[in-house]
Amino acid sequence: MAEFDSKLPVSGGKNHVFEACHHVVKALRASDNNLDANLRKLLSDLEMHLSTFGIADTEVEDVGFSEIKERFKEAVKKIRSWETNQSTILEAGLSEANQFFQALYEVQSVLVGFKALPIKTNQKEKDVYNQATVALDIAMLRLEKELRDVLHQHKQHVQPEYLAVSSRRKDIVYDESFVSLDDEVVVEASLHEDDEQISDFYSSDLVDPSVLPHIKAIANVMFACEYDQPFCEAFISVQREALDEYMVTLEMERFSCVDVLKMEWEDLNGAMRKWTRVVKIITQVYLASEKQLCEQILGDFESISTACFIEISKDTVLSLLNFGEAVALRSCKPEMLERFLSMYEVSAEILVDVDNLFPDEAGSFLRIAFHDMSKKLADHTTATFLKFKDAIASDESARPFHGGGIHHLTRYVMNYLKLLPEYTDTLNSLLQNIHVDDSIPEKTGEDVLPSTFSPMARHLRSIVTTLESSLERKAQLYADEALKSIFLMNNFRYMVQKVKGSELRHLFGDEWIRKHIASYQRNVTNYERSSWSSILALLTEKNESVRTLRERCKLFSLAFDDVYKNQTHWSVPDPELRDDLHISTSVKVVQSYRGFLGRNAVRIGEKHIRYTCEDIENMLLDLFECSPSPRSLLSSRRR
Amino acid sequence: MAPATEHQSSFLSRISRRSQVVSMEVNHEQELEELEDFQKHVAERFTELLPPSDSPESYPILSIQWLRKLLDVFMSIESEFHSVLTTNPSQISKPPLDKIVPEMLDRIVKALDICTAVVNGVDSVRQIQRCAEIAVTALKQTPLSDGSVRRAKRALTSLLAALNADKNSGSSGGGSGRRSSTDQWSSFGRRSGGSGGGGGGGGGGCVSKNWSAAKQIQAMTANLVAPRGGEASPIYIMSSVMVMVMWTLVVAVPCQTSNGLMVHLPLPKNQVWASAAVSISERIGEEMKRKETRCGGLMEEMQRMERIGLKLMEFSEGFRFNGEDDVTAEVAEMEETCRKMEDGLEVLQRRVREAFHRLVKSRSEILEVIDH
Repeated sequence: MAEFDSKLPVSGGKNHVFEACHHVVKALRASDNNLDANLRKLLSDLEMHLSTFGIADTEVEDVGFSEIKERFKEAVKKIRSWETNQSTILEAGLSEANQFFQALYEVQSVLVGFKALPIKTNQKEKDVYNQATVALDIAMLRLEKELRDVLHQHKQHVQPEYLAVSSRRKDIVYDESFVSLDDEVVVEASLHEDDEQISDFYSSDLVDPSVLPHIKAIANVMFACEYDQPFCEAFISVQREALDEYMVTLEMERFSCVDVLKMEWEDLNGAMRKWTRVVKIITQVYLASEKQLCEQILGDFESISTACFIEISKDTVLSLLNFGEAVALRSCKPEMLERFLSMYEVSAEILVDVDNLFPDEAGSFLRIAFHDMSKKLADHTTATFLKFKDAIASDESARPFHGGGIHHLTRYVMNYLKLLPEYTDTLNSLLQNIHVDDSIPEKTGEDVLPSTFSPMARHLRSIVTTLESSLERKAQLYADEALKSIFLMNNFRYMVQKVKGSELRHLFGDEWIRKHIASYQRNVTNYERSSWSSILALLTEKNESVRTLRERCKLFSLAFDDVYKNQTHWSVPDPELRDDLHISTSVKVVQSYRGFLGRNAVRIGEKHIRYTCEDIENMLLDLFECSPSPRSLLSSRRR
Repeated sequence: MAPATEHQSSFLSRISRRSQVVSMEVNHEQELEELEDFQKHVAERFTELLPPSDSPESYPILSIQWLRKLLDVFMSIESEFHSVLTTNPSQISKPPLDKIVPEMLDRIVKALDICTAVVNGVDSVRQIQRCAEIAVTALKQTPLSDGSVRRAKRALTSLLAALNADKNSGSSGGGSGRRSSTDQWSSFGRRSGGSGGGGGGGGGGCVSKNWSAAKQIQAMTANLVAPRGGEASPIYIMSSVMVMVMWTLVVAVPCQTSNGLMVHLPLPKNQVWASAAVSISERIGEEMKRKETRCGGLMEEMQRMERIGLKLMEFSEGFRFNGEDDVTAEVAEMEETCRKMEDGLEVLQRRVREAFHRLVKSRSEILEVIDH
């Protein structure tokens, strides 16, 4: 571009320029609200000059006009000097920045002036106009670059510390394999880790607040010069990229519907956990801050702030929504219940935040999409919960469970139920209108907690009832009545202990606990009867002959050996229950035997008595240890 | 059993022969009628989309309005299919349809991802629209100056680059090599920063890493084989319609895709219900060959923008202040095209999202029928 040259005529034409200046001042004064200190000063200077010159005073006029011309020349020079300067105007300092803006306003005034002229100006003035447009465009382009650079360099990171911690934790996978874990491990894994910390990071500043005035100044001037579109494009582009990068630091991946349906459970479990954390951080922290930033910078321009915010956030939000939808395509397997519960819970929780982020018509499609997705997750979660029962009911065994111990299904169900009290509120709201038959009659009273008859409690009891039915069916597979009883007592005892030892007790209630204790006690009685009645009957005698007595003694020993052989393989894992069994069995059997021996030992003769009372007492202790190789029968008292 | 022999190879004839003859005959009648109705419905709806038609509502193929109509057609056919399904759920649980159904379910899931990609793609078009708007604003300045033209040139450069983005980059993931840590998450085709200002191309996101619309369409057409002889089943028809609609959307909207979008669809040439659809897809195929692109982005308005954009660029490059050239006509046309986009794109996106939800529903309905 040619150096600005004084091509302006000294006579005649100068009136046009003079008038132009008047117009400029008028126009700028009229838009007083947007003026900053620099421009106001410029205007007062100009006005001062203009007011001292009358139109007739041509000589003085020329001096006044040439001053404006000089200023314009300087302004263009200043603007051009920044054209190739790669560092930011901001870091050059406040004075430099002010000078740049002042130069810009100079140029803009010339343009406004020319535009306001009612008559066509001559060629030379048109050239000035042309040069001014180029200078303006250079300045605008430079400011656009400035905007991008400043936003980028003064970006602040939203980095909640707990993130680093949770990503190190190993995900516990709730499939059949977890029945073999210690119960303690399961408890540990269910800790809800992250709710509290997030609120500490509300509304962090995405950009260093000290640069905001500078950015706002850029916005104001670009909008004033009708370069609002490029400003918005640049702003949206930088901010959207920053959000993308943030998602990368959160290690959030995008998945297609095809991916989600194909995923192995472990991977999906991890992805769902991550989503649950990320969606909260994004809506409650990051986007809230982003919206605030848009407001701070573009708040003066009505709907522009909203439009920009939506453009910046749209893609990420839609992608998060898509994952929620995709996950709801999967079938309702019971092991997914907890993950669905947390996803649904979070989605419901953030609806308020989403409504605040996108309150207007323009953002309504996102708001509605969130509500829809939350509803879908609700339905899917409820369906998964209800299917849990079906899965339990359809668990059929072909063979009796070895050793009569605690069945995998029992462990699975009870450990799973133990995780659910954490989601009490959510489950109650999902289940409130779904009727289910309860195993205990509804009661009120001082000693009855309201939680015991909440929708969730009813459903949980119903699930356990289904488990019980399943166990009854499995028990039928045992040929041995005694083993059947052992099986049932073990499993019912396990259920009771799990309920008593956790939050579940408030849900199941005392009456349920009492009923189920009574139930396994009955099985203890059954066991004793079916195992020992006929054996102990051998020890009641009425004036039998010696031979009969000896026979009885032998039969008793043989029968006892049988029981011993079998029942040492049986399992009663619960130590207390096992002790109780030992004690009550011992009391019965040893007492009877002692009595029998007491009455008849002499007549029978020592060499026909295989076991002493002590022997019997000791051997009884081996029962239910589930030992692979019981103490050898032969190692007992030899004869 | 007294089947009419001409229907022997129809899907109806494979229904269990252990059913009662009488009720089966009644069913036969009903099902045949329904099938005919369905086929007619499909044929009619697609005919409405044929170019050029006499109705005042006809729009050029691949224009935004036409695409919206295409989605209307799709939804309407899907509703019909839904009622066919609910009145005769046994159809889809008997062999050999029990093999075809899982394939259809799989196709639906792929279609879901395509809908997502199309929604993202429309965002890219919005981005292009914004570049165009900047150019229009600049070129509408009077008097036209060097400054305005500079500004217009920048916007036009971005515009033309964005319009040709897919054709240049080739592989999915926007192979410009500028993608680094943001690979996993960031938008397909987005330029970082960029000194050119005014919209750095690609506003839409990506479906997932390495996802490609072309590959998905290809996969959807696998096993899409017309039953030999006789009648096509409703499932086959619905599947074909779905594939055709998805393919068309991918052709029109710039989607995340590798090169190699197929030019020919395996639609049956000799069936009445399909003839209009075949016609349309052949027209589109020709367009693809003409433009030498297998990457999509052939939306009519985009093509128009490219045409005008090139003219305006030529003008801008040769511009001299106080020259005699006048581009008001082209600028007006560009502005008009922007307006069409402004009015139509958002609605188009909404319709695609509706189609997504409808497909989800359809899938769960089919699953429910299978489970019982």
